[in-house]
Amino acid sequence: MSYAYLFKYIIIGDTGVGKSCLLLQFTDKRFQPVHDLTIGVEFGARMITIDNKYIKLQIWDTAGQEAFRSITRSYYRGAAGALLVYDITRRETFNHLTTWLDDARQHSNSNMVIMLIGNKSDLESRREVKKEEGEAFAREHGLIFMETSAKTAANVEEAFINTAKEIYEKIQEGVFDINNEANGIKIGPQHSPSNSNLPPGSKSPSQSSGCC
Amino acid sequence: MFRSRSWFGGSLFRAKNPHSLEHLKYLHTVLSKNQTVSESNRSLLVETLRSIAEILIWGDQNDSSVFDFFLEKNMLSFFLKILKQKCGSYVCVQLLQTLNILFENIRNQTSLYYLLSNNHVNFIIVHKFDFSDEEVMAYYISFLKTLSLKLNSHTIHFFYNDHTNDFPLYTEAIKFFNHPESMVRIAVRTLTLNVYRVQDHSMLRFIRNKTAAPYFSNLVWFIGDHVLELDACVRNDADHSSQSRLADLVAEHLDHLHYLNDILCLDIDDLNEVLIVHLLNKLFIPLYIFSLLPVQQSSPIIQEGKFRVSSVVSLFLLSQVFLITRQQPLVNDLAHVILRSTAASWQNGSYVTNARPVFGAPLRTLEESLDTSISSLAEAGNEIVTEPTVNMNITDEEKELRLAQESQKVFFEMVVNSLDCNENDYATLFALCLLYAISQNSGIERSLLDGLLLPAENPDHQRYSSWIVKKLINIITQSCQAVCKIRLATLELATLLLQKLCMQDDKNLLCDAHFAAIVGAKEDSAALLTSYYKREDMFAEIFESEDEDMRKKPLNVEWLMMDSNILLPPTGTPMTGIEFGKRLPCGEVERARRAIRVFLLIRALWLKLSDMKETQLPLTNRSECVQSDVDLDLTNSDLLACHVVGPDGLRNHRFLVVESNQIILVVPVPGKLGFGRPKLAAMLHDLDVSPDKQDPKSLFISAKYTTVGPMVNSKFIFDDHIRCMAAQERLRKGRLKARDEKMRQMEKLLDIPLSESPQYNLQQLRRHHRTSAHRGLLAHRLPGFPAQISRTPSASPKPSADEGSEAGSSPARSRDGSPKLPRPRSEEIQLESIKKGALLRGGGTPPLVEEATDDASGPILRQYPNTGVGGRSASKETSFTQPMPSEPTTSSRRTKGQVETI
Repeated sequence: MSYAYLFKYIIIGDTGVGKSCLLLQFTDKRFQPVHDLTIGVEFGARMITIDNKYIKLQIWDTAGQEAFRSITRSYYRGAAGALLVYDITRRETFNHLTTWLDDARQHSNSNMVIMLIGNKSDLESRREVKKEEGEAFAREHGLIFMETSAKTAANVEEAFINTAKEIYEKIQEGVFDINNEANGIKIGPQHSPSNSNLPPGSKSPSQSSGCC
Repeated sequence: MFRSRSWFGGSLFRAKNPHSLEHLKYLHTVLSKNQTVSESNRSLLVETLRSIAEILIWGDQNDSSVFDFFLEKNMLSFFLKILKQKCGSYVCVQLLQTLNILFENIRNQTSLYYLLSNNHVNFIIVHKFDFSDEEVMAYYISFLKTLSLKLNSHTIHFFYNDHTNDFPLYTEAIKFFNHPESMVRIAVRTLTLNVYRVQDHSMLRFIRNKTAAPYFSNLVWFIGDHVLELDACVRNDADHSSQSRLADLVAEHLDHLHYLNDILCLDIDDLNEVLIVHLLNKLFIPLYIFSLLPVQQSSPIIQEGKFRVSSVVSLFLLSQVFLITRQQPLVNDLAHVILRSTAASWQNGSYVTNARPVFGAPLRTLEESLDTSISSLAEAGNEIVTEPTVNMNITDEEKELRLAQESQKVFFEMVVNSLDCNENDYATLFALCLLYAISQNSGIERSLLDGLLLPAENPDHQRYSSWIVKKLINIITQSCQAVCKIRLATLELATLLLQKLCMQDDKNLLCDAHFAAIVGAKEDSAALLTSYYKREDMFAEIFESEDEDMRKKPLNVEWLMMDSNILLPPTGTPMTGIEFGKRLPCGEVERARRAIRVFLLIRALWLKLSDMKETQLPLTNRSECVQSDVDLDLTNSDLLACHVVGPDGLRNHRFLVVESNQIILVVPVPGKLGFGRPKLAAMLHDLDVSPDKQDPKSLFISAKYTTVGPMVNSKFIFDDHIRCMAAQERLRKGRLKARDEKMRQMEKLLDIPLSESPQYNLQQLRRHHRTSAHRGLLAHRLPGFPAQISRTPSASPKPSADEGSEAGSSPARSRDGSPKLPRPRSEEIQLESIKKGALLRGGGTPPLVEEATDDASGPILRQYPNTGVGGRSASKETSFTQPMPSEPTTSSRRTKGQVETI
């Protein structure tokens, strides 16, 4: 299925904060959140609609590649959006945010939209980082903020879609140079509303974009 | 979209527990019954594949029988069967994603081995997917990357087969090394690095013998191709219109270099050897280094000079190479070529390596050569490596003879000559970068740099290259001219490089003449700045902010070389968005800013070379603010009670103290009568005070810096309007004095004699004469006596007419703006900062005294009887600020402080 834009995202943050689970939860909701299953994936794509336009999100998890400087810097540069994830039950993952952010700011293009995500909001009893702290950090650094749970799927949808909205707005404002694919934004193959098939959410089995 | 499909799975499996062995058995039946993909069962298959991933991971984590069943029924073979039919991207993608999930989430090592053991995975890897489908491509490459993250010395054997000499995971992946999609390229690079770091000898031998030459030659060509594009972009961009494209190309080049460096850093000798030969002979030497020479000069060296880039670009690229990689075999040879090779060195066509360096397209594409080289022995790359050079067997004598004949070090001269800023500093900046990058590269043998780019270790030799140093001094001297084309970044880098060249163990080796030139430049830069100097608050603010900026962001050469903007010819206009330091100044204010920075840079260099410590800068030391961990003895201090209401509406009761150059808010210390604990302190000159027009008892105060962060529009409510006025007055005066003090410090810094300052009117000059007569006496009578700061109210207030005229003529001169009413002495402001400033100045400065002792030495002398009292109180009031070492010479300065307070 053709799209108007393709946005590339990366997910960053300490290991074990649930990056790949968030990714899978967003790209394939059919994986039921259950207690005895932790499941994630390193790559996924999904179509969403913003402003009646199909927008494809491609999300790349960068886990396990920190050993190579060339890889991290390239990933940052190629993305239009980044989800910076910490675990609300582990203070140290919150403390490392500055390092992640510095890295992201140094390597990414300046327009990259960064969303701060406090994951595992379902584990309220083990919470170590207050929501207000996350909010304050986001405010201080000009990020969007949300607490999510990959387990219960709370806010997962919103986190990815709000980031996309922000990118979309920046495109409308002309901030992003969309002809420059290095920004992590791609214009879709000639998108015409007449032949674009059913909107996402239709039951047409002919859609080829499906997947996780 | 997925939500939409869940109706399907939902209706089908609702009855069953999706996480159970039974369910997997059911899925197995579905697969067995639907071995042929058709339009009608596509969705069913996709849902089945998805469910398999889910249940297998659940089984891995909870029930091992699930996995046993999967293996027992050889369910992976179904996957292959599905793939072999033209199943369409919908099914392909789900299949790949199921595999991704499997390999990503499996924790049980045995399960993993079983999954890999029957070679199904390798068949899937070599399957010809429809790679034109961007989604299939993305899932496929992610699959390969996920697998590569599972590689270790055990699992490698499931992928690399040393009997058949087959390593599909690697060979299939590198075919996409130049894929147009950047994420795919990154995945390929990740995979290769993950493969290389598995220390398996036979696998690495395979990589080295069968794939290294084709892969690296194509990679190097790919990089060179980007470089040519970059060069074209620079050439065709006269008006800075393609900044973002250029930025990408530069970042891309950096990515390549980092990738190469990451490979080299794995220290796999066999592999590095091949890589380095390719880099040197097929890219760095023929394209980068040869391009340093002008076309006509390079002809004897490059026979087939088809490709070249501009010398500016080549300097830029070479700097990046030396900044990023420190691998000895590579950078040392490269440095050798640049620093040592002469035109004669190249007569055989080659120099440090045995092959003629040529930049050109590889004979075959990577895919072609991989397909052939796997069967026959790799030759595409090897032929380059082993290509015999013409006439290699010349004798050493012949070689030396030739060297003598033509000993001109062509490339090095070219680089050093680029240091001359004739028209502009376009190439100069890059030449400086390159020399700097070479000089700091730890991979280069010391002997190559000794006495050239680093101080000679042997003191008997010439310690540094005066050829280069002269050129650097020239840049520095030229920078001090009012009209010049040297950017600040160039100057800063020149000062850095000069220190590299001639500083050894903090000692400067410069000969007298060269050092004198630096001293001269420092004076010139002071003179240049003096011409912009204005005795205005604004100027002081600019000066401080430039100083702070430079302190915060010293030049980082690596970052500088990441900025594509400097690749475009230098411009002045800020509308290009280029940082101030990387362009020429535009307009009067920017020229003043530039003059400030030039002065600060050269002064810093001069201090370093003279091995002197910085004592005068920064003008404001905010760390002097009183911290909250000391209790202050405020007995006898003047405290104003007030309520402070922050922007958040919080109301706190505090006591306001104005001490020396600070405002301090304190609370009483329980159990220590008369002591206060600071809650907030800020420099007076940072304050912005405004009265509340609706409430005469209140003031609004803001400060950018306080000990507890910025204070924004806090409301200070005093007991009554008199106290409010008193506070306002005290703050205002303190602020003016602090600012005035700053001007003095700056004048001292610039060696501007105070009497020359235009703001000094006749009246003051007259005072000079009057007071200078007493100076000797004061200094004599009051060595280091602290009492002079304080004074009794008897000190005669100045005539108000006098004050009015003063204020009119120079608002900055606060010290004459004395209050109209005699006040209790406790309200006086202690000019601690002035005293400190005076101390910093070292030797006595007569002008200060002359200017300071205003209307009367009389009152001062009259005060002497009071000094006892004053001394006591002064010591109390200043007890918590830094103690003033009392020394004889302070007396004259204190006199100044004394007069200023009233």
